[in-house]
Amino acid sequence: MPITVSIPTILRPLTNNQKRIEIDGFNVLEAIEQMEQQYPGVKEKLITGGEARRFINIYVNDDDIRFSNGLSTRLNDGDSLTILPAVAGGGG
Amino acid sequence: MRMNRALAGCAITGPLKNSVPDFDAIASSLLYQTTALGMKTEAHEDCSGNGALSFEFRTPHTTPVVCEVTPWDDISGQASVTENVMQAACGLMSVHGRADGKSRPLGLNYVSTLTAALALQGGVAASIGQLRGLSVSNSTVSMASAALLSVGQYIAGATASESPETPETLFPDPISRSACLPFVSLDGVIFELETLDAGPWQKFWAEIGISSAGAGKGWKAFLLRYAKAISPLPAELPGAISRLTYHRISQICARTGIAICPIRSIDDRAQDDDSRHVWRQGPWEFLFESNRSGRGSSRATGDLPLSGLTVVESCRRIQGPLAGHLLSLLGAEVIRIEPPGGDPLRGMPPMAEGCSARFDALNRYKAVREIDIKSSAGQAEIKELAEHADVFLHNWAPGKAVLLNLDHEALTAINPSLVYAYAGGWATDSAAHVSSSSMPGTDFMAQAYSGVAKKIAEASGIRGSLFTVLDVLGGVVAAQGITIALLNRCMNNVGAKVTSSLMSSATLLCADDFRNIYNLPSPGSKTSTSETSTSLISTIYVTKQGKIAVECPDFKTSLRLSEALDAAIEVEEEGFPHSLSDLFLSRTADEWARIFEQAQIPAAVVVEDLSDLQTIAYLQPNLSPGPYTKVNSPWRFK
Repeated sequence: MPITVSIPTILRPLTNNQKRIEIDGFNVLEAIEQMEQQYPGVKEKLITGGEARRFINIYVNDDDIRFSNGLSTRLNDGDSLTILPAVAGGGG
Repeated sequence: MRMNRALAGCAITGPLKNSVPDFDAIASSLLYQTTALGMKTEAHEDCSGNGALSFEFRTPHTTPVVCEVTPWDDISGQASVTENVMQAACGLMSVHGRADGKSRPLGLNYVSTLTAALALQGGVAASIGQLRGLSVSNSTVSMASAALLSVGQYIAGATASESPETPETLFPDPISRSACLPFVSLDGVIFELETLDAGPWQKFWAEIGISSAGAGKGWKAFLLRYAKAISPLPAELPGAISRLTYHRISQICARTGIAICPIRSIDDRAQDDDSRHVWRQGPWEFLFESNRSGRGSSRATGDLPLSGLTVVESCRRIQGPLAGHLLSLLGAEVIRIEPPGGDPLRGMPPMAEGCSARFDALNRYKAVREIDIKSSAGQAEIKELAEHADVFLHNWAPGKAVLLNLDHEALTAINPSLVYAYAGGWATDSAAHVSSSSMPGTDFMAQAYSGVAKKIAEASGIRGSLFTVLDVLGGVVAAQGITIALLNRCMNNVGAKVTSSLMSSATLLCADDFRNIYNLPSPGSKTSTSETSTSLISTIYVTKQGKIAVECPDFKTSLRLSEALDAAIEVEEEGFPHSLSDLFLSRTADEWARIFEQAQIPAAVVVEDLSDLQTIAYLQPNLSPGPYTKVNSPWRFK
């Protein structure tokens, strides 16, 4: 069973407006590489300098990948991968 | 030329020292602001008896602008209002109370302060309109419009067409409500933690012995504060903190790169070196160019006072974008600079027609230019925009403008008539308080440092607010300062630098407290308004259906309440407000509201689900339906 990826609106122009796609991958990086093959441009939006972009949060099921193994976080069949922009407030 | 008396030569006339009680706090804030701006104040008795606060704003170059402050934009709203009634009716109590699941007042004259700032800005903007060829002689702002503006983003989230936030989705786990921020140490110090990056957060909790998975769940909850006013942290996090002393936690913070700030009192803040200066100066610092620039007042190109003026905005998050949004509501063309690929917050759920509803609420009227501000080509592009602009507004971290060669000096060299605005976290002037300016200038840190968080906590019986109190007020203050600088430019042909901050906005919000601490005489209002409510009754009652906020400012109103409820207990008896609780259970909140309207008792149904606001008849002039419910401009000009 593949991984289900929830695509944020900001990336949907790259995924033919699909809200969810199914993809295979051993870990998060591999899943993103797979997505890049099918939907060019996605990787650059998510990764910079070998790490997830600062203002992008990636969750495997309900867990932020930065608090497990980052882009190397292992994926299992049936997992869901959610991509969300980070939220912050304040002035300066 | 540093000159904070930006409106010296201008005057305000009205019943500011003898306003009707409903408008006391607004009049007090107006007096504070106009005094700080060097305006002449001419107070007279209120003879209107029309349930509004009306004052005239005059400049040496324009005809007087009549500024009216009303409770509502629709006359069918409750005739008699108070700060707390307005907070209940417009959803503020609901947002403030989300963190622990119970609507409650902020305990600050928040709506009143916002209303005063917007009303004064209306007079300033209308005068700009006159100088630019419009015949504008009247500006109206309602307390309801100010209150709704303050929760506009939350309303957008609650009414978005795709997966709107509901009370159920905001409070998925009743247990987590108890683990609310700020934190408390073993030795009883209440404090805020802040970081904008996951890395330091992870290191901090690892040192305290929390698993990476636990810290990750906490990070997700921590990030919800700004958007949703909740932070359902796993209980193990505050639990672990509570076993360490504040000193030990501070040491761990220093090692891991997390900012920490104890919740201070306004008394503490008043002792800071810069505090009295900031209070005297008002929430803005103006630096006017000494040479006349030749670009005074261009003709307005539309009906609104700032139409035809261009604002270039490079801001993220809430405070700066709100300032730009307010200028667009006054007619300015706002060009928003976003990083290549667009601001990531455009994708922050919930969505409405392809854009984050919350983001759109603050940015919907702006043109967007995607520019990489770190590249020299990008910086050249910004300079080209600034050369032809009237206002340049940013909220970059301190020092970044110089680094990018886009500071005040660099941009006024190419456009001397530019109004260069900085809406920051801490720095209201270059001598900003050292210990505070090293911390991230975010809302909750500024609330903690300024004394606002403690004041809210003491008044509302919880530890603080996750409502973005200072981001919103800071945005209003920034827009107000820019509008004042534009009026000055229209009159004197000089550009300016305007600096405002979350901290200076906190001083505005608590201006009467500082005056009391400094033991200075009030410029006029008949009572000190540092307390939100000195009423005999100011309580939220549970009814047969829904809750109602009731306020009895005096004995006579309490008697009318007693009669309306057919209460057996005497008003004078101790515990009278509490003894009424059971009586409220016989009718719904709506039914009681109608009865109290007849009896002239200030009251309002407590709006707990923000999506209900769009169904309330007397709020319709303030809201526009669509893919999400939009809050309309707070100003009406004629």
